[in-house]
Amino acid sequence: MKISIHYRIALFCIFFGIGFIGCKTKESEDEPKKIAIVVSTLNNPWFVFLAQKAEAKAKQLGYESKIFDSQNNTAQETDHFDNAIASGYDAILFNPTDADGSIVNVKNAVAAGVPVFCMDREVNANGAATSQILSDSYSGCVAIGKYFVETLNKKGKYVEILGMVGDNNTWNRSKGFHSVVDFYPGLKMVAQQSADFDRNKAMEVMESILQAHPDIDGVFCGNDAMAMGAYQALVASGKADRVKVFGFDGAEDVVKSIRDGKILATGMQFPEVMAQTAATFADAYFKGKRDFPGKMPVAVELVKKDNVENYAAYGEKE
Amino acid sequence: MPKPIRYLLYVAVIALLAYNSVYFKKLDEVKAGTGAFDAAGYAKDFWAKKLMPGLPKAVELGALTAQLKTEKDKAFEQHSHALGIGNIGYFLVKGKGTVTDVSENEVSVALSVGGEGAGNVRIATEYIFGNAVRDASGAIDINAFTNSMDFNNVSAEINKLIRKKVIPPFKSNVQKGDRVAFHGAIELNRGHLQLNSIEIIPVSLQIEKP
Repeated sequence: MKISIHYRIALFCIFFGIGFIGCKTKESEDEPKKIAIVVSTLNNPWFVFLAQKAEAKAKQLGYESKIFDSQNNTAQETDHFDNAIASGYDAILFNPTDADGSIVNVKNAVAAGVPVFCMDREVNANGAATSQILSDSYSGCVAIGKYFVETLNKKGKYVEILGMVGDNNTWNRSKGFHSVVDFYPGLKMVAQQSADFDRNKAMEVMESILQAHPDIDGVFCGNDAMAMGAYQALVASGKADRVKVFGFDGAEDVVKSIRDGKILATGMQFPEVMAQTAATFADAYFKGKRDFPGKMPVAVELVKKDNVENYAAYGEKE
Repeated sequence: MPKPIRYLLYVAVIALLAYNSVYFKKLDEVKAGTGAFDAAGYAKDFWAKKLMPGLPKAVELGALTAQLKTEKDKAFEQHSHALGIGNIGYFLVKGKGTVTDVSENEVSVALSVGGEGAGNVRIATEYIFGNAVRDASGAIDINAFTNSMDFNNVSAEINKLIRKKVIPPFKSNVQKGDRVAFHGAIELNRGHLQLNSIEIIPVSLQIEKP
């Protein structure tokens, strides 16, 4: 049988190509899977802790991982997602910058076959992410609200310092708090302002509020960084002893401040639990599991002077 | 068919198709959402169809505290419900006891079922907040809700029902020394169990005058 030179070349290319693909596939199977950890900001120690715990768990499970800092910027987050998808990452553990603005990134990744597991913050689209592991912020702030009412004895003037307005946690915390406090007409909110979860901004916001309302009795802050900023402003104005400050997160300096009697209470979140659950879910996904809960709430615990000894920064005492 | 009638029919069909293809709605109606979740209605339904019929399954509080002291993990596994991960568990409980104190925010009760000294508990009459009642029954799934605020609003509405239906007749009549029977929900922390300050969010209360 005589085969023309063109057919010989074509056959050679096909066999060579199949062999090359086979080698490549073998190589891909041998390589550890890669997990991208995309975090809203590394400018806040709480998120650094979250990212590091996710990275540690991914490594423990045998995966390569890399942390991407979105710097609270949705455009930067989109770049990270594009890079992660193009670079062949197999899963994304995700802490979104914006509940609405981040939806498109999640959808793009999932459409490209990359599962996304949200940590701590949610996106406003049911079923977009593979699963969302979230602090039960609302319930945590119901507990803080109740303690707030008890300690202020149902009356007084107070200030609320909100986190980022585009983040669901900001509103879940605020609504949980108000679901209790608004029942008491003797408690009057004289100012409500955002400080973007940032300590320095909270200090500035508190300083300016104190100019107009020097007679406040309490401050509720949407996170601990802002609680520390507000407390600093109160110290500077000589009012720290009479104004009760409440935070949310369970950050190291606030746990210490509760012990020292400077801050009244916080809601302890468990970032390590969330990070480890997200990494474990990614591991299960790689092994074929597909039926993940859409939302997995993680309980928040009220930390105050009489139980602070049970807690350390970002969780329980070992 | 004459041409004018045929054209008229064509125009009529095109007009009908065009009319049914395009809808106009007010932007604020769209933003508000046409199918807004009725948390109050859901809570009433839950109260009548799931919570009340499920009360006979409530665990005896005296027996529960005794079990928690000896086999905590088993007690949580058998009797508590929780929606996600963490130390917090909710229990649907029942019990009887004698009122030892009536204060502005709560009624203190010495439990009688479970033996003498079965423990003292507090029935909340002021701070009816949180998810204890919603979650203790284990009958509601968070993933059945499109967003977490709807889910949280169910709790708020259940608590409103308690404030309206359960608390007023009890608070206006209860006195120190009364015998009371209760059904309710409690929240316990598995990691840091505090059995000496159990607070009951009541769903059913009866007073037996001595």
